[in-house]
Amino acid sequence: MKRLVPIPILLLLCTALQAQERTATTSEAAAWHDEKTIAIREVPIWGRQPMKEIGVQKTRFDSVVLKENIALSIADILTFNSSLFVKQYGRATLSTVSFRGTGPSHTQVTWNGMRINNPMLGMTDFSMIPAYFIDDASLLHGSSSVNETGGALGGVVKLATTPAQADGFGLQYIQGIGMFKTFDEFLRLTWGNRNWQVSTRAVYQSSRNDYKYRNHDKKENIYNDQMQIIGSYYPVERNRSGAFDDVHLLQEIYYNTGRGDRFGVNAWYINSHRELPMLTTDYADDKKFENFQREHTLRSVVSWDHLRSDWKLAAKAGYIHTWTAYDYRRDPGNGIMTTMTRSRSRINTLYGQAEGSYSIGERWLFTADLSIHQHFVQSADKNIITQEGNKAVVGYDKARIEIDGALSARWRPTDRLGLSLVLREQLYGTRWATIPAFFADWVLSKRGNLVAKASVSRNFRFPTLNDLYFLPGGNPDLRNENGIAYETGLSFSTGKERRYTLSGSLSWYDQYIDDWILWLPTTKGFFSPMNIKKVHAYGIEARADLDVALSDAWRLGLDGTFSWSPSINVGEPMSPADRSVGKQLPYEPEFSATVTGRLTWRTWSLLYQWCYYSERYTMSSNDVTLTGRLTPYLMNNLSLEKRFSIPWADLSLKGAINNLFDEEYLSVLSRPMPGINVEFFIGITPKWGKGKK
Amino acid sequence: MKRILRCILPALGLLLLGGGCMKWDYGSIEEFEASGSGLFITNEGNFQYGNATLSYYDPETRRVENEVFKRANGFKLGDVAQSMTIRGDIGWIVVNNSHVIFAIDIHTFKEVGRITDLTSPRYIHFLSDEKAYVTQIWDNRIFIINPRRFEITGYIDCPGMTMETGSTEQMVQYGKYVYVNCWSYQNRILKIDTETDKVVDELQVGIQPTSLVLDCNNKLWTITDGGYEGSPYGYEAPSLYRIDAESFTVEKEFRFQLGDWPSEVQLNGTRDTLYWINNDIWRMRVDADRAPVRPFIEYRDTKYYGLTVDPRNGDVYVADAIDYQQQGLIYRYTADGEEIDSFYVGIIPGAFCWK
Repeated sequence: MKRLVPIPILLLLCTALQAQERTATTSEAAAWHDEKTIAIREVPIWGRQPMKEIGVQKTRFDSVVLKENIALSIADILTFNSSLFVKQYGRATLSTVSFRGTGPSHTQVTWNGMRINNPMLGMTDFSMIPAYFIDDASLLHGSSSVNETGGALGGVVKLATTPAQADGFGLQYIQGIGMFKTFDEFLRLTWGNRNWQVSTRAVYQSSRNDYKYRNHDKKENIYNDQMQIIGSYYPVERNRSGAFDDVHLLQEIYYNTGRGDRFGVNAWYINSHRELPMLTTDYADDKKFENFQREHTLRSVVSWDHLRSDWKLAAKAGYIHTWTAYDYRRDPGNGIMTTMTRSRSRINTLYGQAEGSYSIGERWLFTADLSIHQHFVQSADKNIITQEGNKAVVGYDKARIEIDGALSARWRPTDRLGLSLVLREQLYGTRWATIPAFFADWVLSKRGNLVAKASVSRNFRFPTLNDLYFLPGGNPDLRNENGIAYETGLSFSTGKERRYTLSGSLSWYDQYIDDWILWLPTTKGFFSPMNIKKVHAYGIEARADLDVALSDAWRLGLDGTFSWSPSINVGEPMSPADRSVGKQLPYEPEFSATVTGRLTWRTWSLLYQWCYYSERYTMSSNDVTLTGRLTPYLMNNLSLEKRFSIPWADLSLKGAINNLFDEEYLSVLSRPMPGINVEFFIGITPKWGKGKK
Repeated sequence: MKRILRCILPALGLLLLGGGCMKWDYGSIEEFEASGSGLFITNEGNFQYGNATLSYYDPETRRVENEVFKRANGFKLGDVAQSMTIRGDIGWIVVNNSHVIFAIDIHTFKEVGRITDLTSPRYIHFLSDEKAYVTQIWDNRIFIINPRRFEITGYIDCPGMTMETGSTEQMVQYGKYVYVNCWSYQNRILKIDTETDKVVDELQVGIQPTSLVLDCNNKLWTITDGGYEGSPYGYEAPSLYRIDAESFTVEKEFRFQLGDWPSEVQLNGTRDTLYWINNDIWRMRVDADRAPVRPFIEYRDTKYYGLTVDPRNGDVYVADAIDYQQQGLIYRYTADGEEIDSFYVGIIPGAFCWK
């Protein structure tokens, strides 16, 4: 409860601010009152492509998608709404995201402009990002990532918060109660006027997460008195050691001068305690073992935006502190949990960024961008006793500065043609890399807004701090991974006012990544990274979104994605016996697809989510064995929501069924996923005496 | 309304059609009857993926059967198969990160029992049909078990270790004493009195002794890996040690180059010739005064991971883990170093056990 103490303080602050101004309803609330007419999604039927997006392959998630199931993490959002591969071990466990057959560390993630990839690991755990905290999310695929940052050989996931557009004081509280003793609490307090926007969000999620499953990897034996096996069966087990307890707090303050300047402060605090579930093949007694990780993270950004008609300046400064702890303990028989492994890491990151853009007429746009991340990392992985009998810690203590600067010129010589050149220079520690990218688009048809796009880029990814310095195994001689990518595609958008909108895109990409870093075991019993692979990733991504107003009261939305993403090892064989050359990388599906259907009638909403992943090989040789098979799987979620409006508040009731057909499936070997499960949500948004009807 | 239903119902129907349902393939159970001599290979699999397997090779027919544990029993072997030991007609497979030791019939490969509640087991050594020791990592105790009852009956406390720094590995027996090499961030050989189940002596060697054997002259041999650069425990040139079991003293030290990674010291059937991996495969008579200058089998663009010698005819088997993510390959050589066979097994073939 101590963790939630700041909430009442912020509540008081907002209440005090509310006293100053109490006028109209929020736009959100206004939308709730409008029960008779249902608006369809706005899609630009015809208009110039933004200069900043010339040739860019971008997927943007609107707020409807982000808030469809409030209990979800961004990992779940991406699973059901994008062509990305989300590798996850179940709820509240490590979830990584990869674009186009690349690895999780080839995905860069920014939050309000600041890169939040873990500098030790290079990747981001998306299960730690509640969708409730994200107002604007978009994906920059492949080469398009160069517009945002370097090092994203797969792509960029851009996450941002936005001002709440509150007018006066607002409150939203949603509670979810689900199976396996799952409790989700969401609270948002907002206050705003013409100049100020203040928002406080809190999320508390906890669960025993001990779902039942049939363990196909294990058999329980039945013995006679002579300890002879007389029978066996596949046991029904519970997910052991899977509980979690996460608190997130997000404070935002924005000040808009109304004269083209906006200031913002964002601070996001995470306090997470998660057990690490046992494998299906683990015969240990979970009461005698403890295996858990904790994380405390603070991410904060201060921003200034200065807007003028033909130029713009922005500056940001930020700080990230992350403390993570991993503990593995067992009870040796005396009732006291005794440490077997105790790992601690501490990361402090200072961040600064300045960017500017200047346009000359409607034909030219120039931008410049410089960002600096200074990391200080302490990793203490293991406690040992030295040969002299003293205590010592196995770990490392390193700092690295990462400077990323970019210049771009965008030119639209005619209404139909757009050209863009981006030149990025990166310095990580003492290593340099130059990243060029070129983009072009051509309007094939103004009718249907049919646009052809093409791009080419060269990109690099620097080894992470663990790659270089982790003890044991870190390899300071690693080379940068480097890639070259080509891409072309089509996009369109069409529709009829108040009747329907239809948009879509189709892109083909081709990418080579050289010196791919892979951690391999050594004969000394630890892993060590090496520049091993050369990978050819290519394929097709397709997306279509349809929104139809069937009548004044009915609305149907259908979104679909499809991805064909071969990711082939084309390097030299590691030995004459190596059968991995020419094969799909392990754990990368070749095909994936998603469909989301939304049906709305007045204040009722039905949501159906479906996703498909083809078989993921677990061996680099693509051999399929009895022990190492991850078969294709389909996933189905369904939810139904009803909204009410009473004089003093707006209410919502929602029921969600996950894994509708109770599929038994695995995303990763030996990690069972939950079967059918249900969660109910109740939401309340008081009107605080305004806008009563 | 009809128009709306005409749109919605087909869409829902499509979703339901594409929605499910997958059925789990349990696989079928196979009957095996491996009556002759043979070689078991424990394939570690990838840590945390539970894809360890057991392979069986018949040197006479040169036929290999992979995943025999899964095929014979209908369930997985587990996570990180570390070692296997045979006593009588029972094979004992130590599955490290599954915290279990499976006992199987070595002819049918069917499970006959299991020992659980282990911390992180590495090797098993039998003292009798009713008593065995099991070494552990991340535990400062060696577990005493009753194999007949599949029960843990006691513990041997190892001095100079905590749970966090505990590491005991391979065991050999000379008379009533069992000797154990202590590996991870350790530099000792322990001597255990099997009558009292107590550590009665210890001998300091180089950093991280990886394996231990006892030759025909009752000399212990251990090979160290020397640690790694930057280790707070130290980093040194690895060595091969000859230790007199009776006096428990180091008789001879063969020093390698700094940066070498020797491992897997093994003996032939008559226990008069040593074999080990140090990039290449090396061999040396146990009474040699100097280490060989030329390898027995040269490095072939890969990292050798496991090694064994056929106790019957001296054939040498070398495991190649390739990229650690695909089925490893076993090379079979004659005692003269001529390659006579090779066969694929499971992921990361790490240990062998002769039937």
